[in-house]
Amino acid sequence: MNRFSKNMMCIILFGLMVMSAQNAHAYIDPGTGSYLLQILIASVVSGLFVIKMWWAKIKAFIFKNKPEKK
Amino acid sequence: MKTTECNSKKEPGSFRDPSGFLFWHDGSLYRQVDYSYKESYDRLMESGLYDALVKKNLLIPHQETEIFPNDSTKAYKIIKPVLLPFVSYPYEWCFSQLKDAALLTLTIQKIALEFGMSLKDCSAYNIQFYKGNPILIDTLSFEPYAKNQPWVAYRQFCQHFLAPLALMSYTDIRLNNFFRIYIDGVPLDLASRLLPSRTWLRFALLAHVHLHAKSQLHYGRKTIEIKKRDFSRHAFIALIDNLETIVGKLKWQPFGTEWGEYYNDINYSDKAFQHKYQIVSEFIEVTHPKDVWDLGANVGFFSSIAGKQSIPTVAFDIDPAAVEKLYLDCRNQKDSSTLPLLLDLTNPSPGLGWNNTERSSLIERGPADTILALAIIHHLAIGNNVPFIRIADFLSQICKTLIIEFVPKHDSQVQRLLVTRQDIFSGYTQQTFEMEFEPYFEIIRSVPIADSERTLYLMTKRSNAGAGPNKNRLPETT
Repeated sequence: MNRFSKNMMCIILFGLMVMSAQNAHAYIDPGTGSYLLQILIASVVSGLFVIKMWWAKIKAFIFKNKPEKK
Repeated sequence: MKTTECNSKKEPGSFRDPSGFLFWHDGSLYRQVDYSYKESYDRLMESGLYDALVKKNLLIPHQETEIFPNDSTKAYKIIKPVLLPFVSYPYEWCFSQLKDAALLTLTIQKIALEFGMSLKDCSAYNIQFYKGNPILIDTLSFEPYAKNQPWVAYRQFCQHFLAPLALMSYTDIRLNNFFRIYIDGVPLDLASRLLPSRTWLRFALLAHVHLHAKSQLHYGRKTIEIKKRDFSRHAFIALIDNLETIVGKLKWQPFGTEWGEYYNDINYSDKAFQHKYQIVSEFIEVTHPKDVWDLGANVGFFSSIAGKQSIPTVAFDIDPAAVEKLYLDCRNQKDSSTLPLLLDLTNPSPGLGWNNTERSSLIERGPADTILALAIIHHLAIGNNVPFIRIADFLSQICKTLIIEFVPKHDSQVQRLLVTRQDIFSGYTQQTFEMEFEPYFEIIRSVPIADSERTLYLMTKRSNAGAGPNKNRLPETT
């Protein structure tokens, strides 16, 4: 992946991060970048986690109802 | 109630914690829990989280004591944790040890959430290996789960676990040595630069390392308006699950080898190997050590002699592949006595961190009751130009009894070392070896190994040796 693609991906993700919130005021410490990014990542993986949980339930249901091999 | 006013000393590695500290008193280790941590400590103990974690061997057990603290205005409780036989550090761990420590941290975080608590820090130094398994040793790492708040230890988890594991897996296994340089884990911008481009295509590494690094750099020097966001419990659990998935998928295996084929290169006939094994067994039986350090343990052939007798044994080796293989073997066999660790004997772990005392040097963590120094003398004396007298001096500082193998110059392993270099080692003889070890150790027994030219020695440290470099004995450095 070239440098342009990497930077574009960062810009898109940061754009999403900055756009999706309500205002509050605070001083920023060096961990701000980690704090903000964690919120962004968690919002993405939350959706994936729901799908993962449902998939696990579906698999469990299928295998539970599958007749045992003799 | 006893007082700690006399004979107590603070453990230099625990001063950063605002909730309490470790101290030694009359040879036992205690932890002071400050009033500032009262709410969290009570929640840990009363919520059932402590019992749940201890029952699963995930958290070090402790007892509350009646010892009276120095500063009773600050101290809420004094607890006595179980004492570990040996403290190791992440720069001494192989890949799977760091990976298991990372997975343990995430498992604990998930369990803590079930009890309404959360880890407030994620230092790899809070994990130790006890009876063959990783275990959290910092009882004061928990705080009540704050609703709608992100994980405060997220950055530290990425720097202490994810980034070094990714570097070891994708770039070079030796990069765990970054822990020696960076006391608070690997800087993410450095990890991002060193990881190969293909890691940008793996979502979890892209997010938690590359974008994380960019985000830290972007916001690091800015004072900005921070937006208030809801960080749901579901999002928290999803984040932990995502980290667990990526850590679980990281793998490392020596290039071009299979574990089963690794380290079959033993320079002995069957007869010689059996005899050597028998002599070492006899020496260990005679000495009855409380603990053993095996220097240059390889994949633990001889460490296992002590390990099988449930003697706490630290098996050191310089080769990450050998340490990895031994750790995986010990884990599979549920060996609770052997702790495999990485160590370059010519540059052993130094004192690190604040005041050079936060992390102890190898020497400070000794002495071991018995040391095995088998088939390493030629690597030190010829491979690394360390004179016999300096080897004797060093070993006398880290052990009470020494089982050492002398490998003569005409041995094929020594000849291999001399193939590409001039033989300037005229003093490398068995006679000189004995003469230069004599001021430091008393030779109790020496037994030639059958079907080989090598000799095994059992030595005990002289009472006046091992107090550090003795200028009257050691030659001037060149």
